[in-house]
Amino acid sequence: MGIAIHIPGPLRTFTDGQTEVHLAASAGTVREALDQLGALYPGVRDRILTEQGALREHINIFVGNEDIRYTGGLLTLLPAGAVVTIVPAISGG
Amino acid sequence: MDERDSMIGKLLDHYRIQAQIGQGGMGVVYRAHDEVLDRDVAVKVLATGTGEALGHDHLLREAQAASSLTHPNICTIYQVGKSGEEFYIVMELVEGQPLPALVGSTGLPFEVLARYGAQIADALAHAHDKGTLHRDLKGANILVTREGRVKILDFGLATRMGSELLSEVTRSYATLNTALVGTLPYMAPELLRGEPASQLTDIWSLGVTLYHAASGRYPFGGKTGFEISSAILSQPPAPLPASVPPGLAGVILRCLAKEPAQRFQRASEARSALETLQGATLAGREQPQADHRGPRRIVMRGIEHHNVREGDVLLLVGTTKGAFLLRSTPERKRWDVAGPYFHGHGVNAMVYDGRESRHRLWLATNSVLWGTFLRSSDDFGKSWTNPAEADVKFPAETGAALKNIWQLSLGEPTEPDVLYCGVEPAALFESRDAGESWSLVRGLYDHPHRPRWVPGNGGLMLHTILPRLSPAGRMYVALSAGGVYSSDDGMKTWTARNRGVRVTFMPEKYPEFGQCVHKIALHPARPERLFLQNHWGIYRSDDAGENWRDIANGVPSDFGFPVVIHPHDPDCVFVLPVESDEFRCTPDGQLRVYRTRNAGATWEPLSRGLPQQRAYETVLRDAMTTDELNPTGIYFGTRNGALYASRDDGRSWTRVVEGLPAVVCVKTIVVGRPRAARAPRAARTAAKHTKRPRAKHR
Repeated sequence: MGIAIHIPGPLRTFTDGQTEVHLAASAGTVREALDQLGALYPGVRDRILTEQGALREHINIFVGNEDIRYTGGLLTLLPAGAVVTIVPAISGG
Repeated sequence: MDERDSMIGKLLDHYRIQAQIGQGGMGVVYRAHDEVLDRDVAVKVLATGTGEALGHDHLLREAQAASSLTHPNICTIYQVGKSGEEFYIVMELVEGQPLPALVGSTGLPFEVLARYGAQIADALAHAHDKGTLHRDLKGANILVTREGRVKILDFGLATRMGSELLSEVTRSYATLNTALVGTLPYMAPELLRGEPASQLTDIWSLGVTLYHAASGRYPFGGKTGFEISSAILSQPPAPLPASVPPGLAGVILRCLAKEPAQRFQRASEARSALETLQGATLAGREQPQADHRGPRRIVMRGIEHHNVREGDVLLLVGTTKGAFLLRSTPERKRWDVAGPYFHGHGVNAMVYDGRESRHRLWLATNSVLWGTFLRSSDDFGKSWTNPAEADVKFPAETGAALKNIWQLSLGEPTEPDVLYCGVEPAALFESRDAGESWSLVRGLYDHPHRPRWVPGNGGLMLHTILPRLSPAGRMYVALSAGGVYSSDDGMKTWTARNRGVRVTFMPEKYPEFGQCVHKIALHPARPERLFLQNHWGIYRSDDAGENWRDIANGVPSDFGFPVVIHPHDPDCVFVLPVESDEFRCTPDGQLRVYRTRNAGATWEPLSRGLPQQRAYETVLRDAMTTDELNPTGIYFGTRNGALYASRDDGRSWTRVVEGLPAVVCVKTIVVGRPRAARAPRAARTAAKHTKRPRAKHR
């Protein structure tokens, strides 16, 4: 069973408009899933992660209903069938 | 047609029929004279029976709707009337040739076609916005005037294709209803299936029009109506000649998608795409398009783009919520505003690269969410690169991550492929391939002072880059808070240049580095002399930055951000004082520029045309600049979103625009070769000392 990643609107320009991307292979951690996503759709990775591989300050990632900041960050393990959601923070000015 | 010829000399209402100028399926077109308004017009007299067949009421309604269209590329309908049995339409008399007559057998030149196509699409967009369809767009309905202006005829007047007319499609082409002969090759597949006309059937017809104009052939050919309609319904368009550029072919084929949802959904989208091609033409087709990382492009829709011409003056205005482009002629009296580009993104740095016959705009977008990206446009903003991968990245071993790009600068004139950017956290990046790839300037990043640089209010940033003027020259950067650094060896080693610049906020008032310098400026005619606006203090160095001395001499506050040198007078300098570190607004709510004409010995306020009451403004470090013309234009934008300009060395100012988001940077472009400016003596003398085109490194 693969993994589903929900893509927020501003990034769909890099996913051919898809709102959800399915990764067939099992990805061990959130970071690996993002690496796979970035390999499939260049453009997504650098908008979510800094060049040092850290999650951008105002981007949140949920596995199921849990914010990964509280479950091990990018090293959070993904169970089979996990649903990953990329959520831009409610912030601005 | 004999009976029609008998019309000549007749009076239809108050229109005197003079000569037949055309005829088509719907009737005959005459030149006529409006005896009331004393002007020449065109009168289309409908073929006997047309009115009855369609219903006069229907025709009248359609014509009335079409007559409400006012657009430079739509032939204006003045009146619809009936005189006796003659049903007629009075319209603007257009002197021009039908588009197909210009096309020939091989198609129009690409540039010409893009220009005509954009006009046609613009007319369609206007009509669609007003709820009017053309229904019968085809080459024969498009006239081109001697001046190259497109005029579309017969908007909304086409017959609704009833089923009885469609059945004729199956007859041999020769016996088709005359109205269909010219129309069939332009008909969308869904029309052939009996579905109603729509904006998308007009867009299909636009595609056929462009296809024909590009190649001299129709996309769907055949000897009989049956063959043509079969091809429209089920065949792909015949391949376009290889001479049609891929960008144009892409636009045409998108209009010709069988599935309506795959076409441009709005005529304005087709227009934008065609305008982009036009821009690409102006910018030169020899541009290297290749980027091995294959950045996608963003086409900016919903913006009234400028059609930029040689000699135009542009202002690049970066704000906290996007970029704006202002365009004017060399007289610079009126400015058209386009934008926001990248709305919602902070645009803190912009630059124009016109070297090597490029016409390339660069800007950096900063999103709180998605990070900072460099983007370029070769068509004056209609489309931009949207790089998949960030261009400017700190190497892994630094552990640093890019927060913002605060400056973009062109390299020295002998190296036309060199660009620099100054970033936060404070560092300098360099590109040696015209912006394709960027690398960190390690000589500065590895400077032993760097760990002790501290962020100012806006973060720890490198904000000013003065590239060397010659291969043997000195390069300067300024960063807050670290101070001024210079390099004489091609950026390998850097020396702090802050002697004499006071640090008010530290126990040691004159340290080697750590100054919060806000801006430095240098005139190419006096490369040894620099001006500096500090976090408190205005300074000048006469020895290439070795020593600085205060020249504030009576300005109401020596706190401020920008410092700008007059391009034609190296002794004339402008600053914009704000009240204090805490308040950071213009003193007493009076917006005043201060000018010295003697390199800082004395300063005078300039306020004519600037608000002098409750104008609590701030002008940020990159928000003031000049152009290269003579008389020179001086410009500044404020944090409250107003933009002011002066064409008389600052004696008087006019507000160019207000209500923008907070202005962060303002730069200028004179497109193409600037008109030979009659420079004053100082600048002419200066020109002997340096061949350098006046760089804008503010």
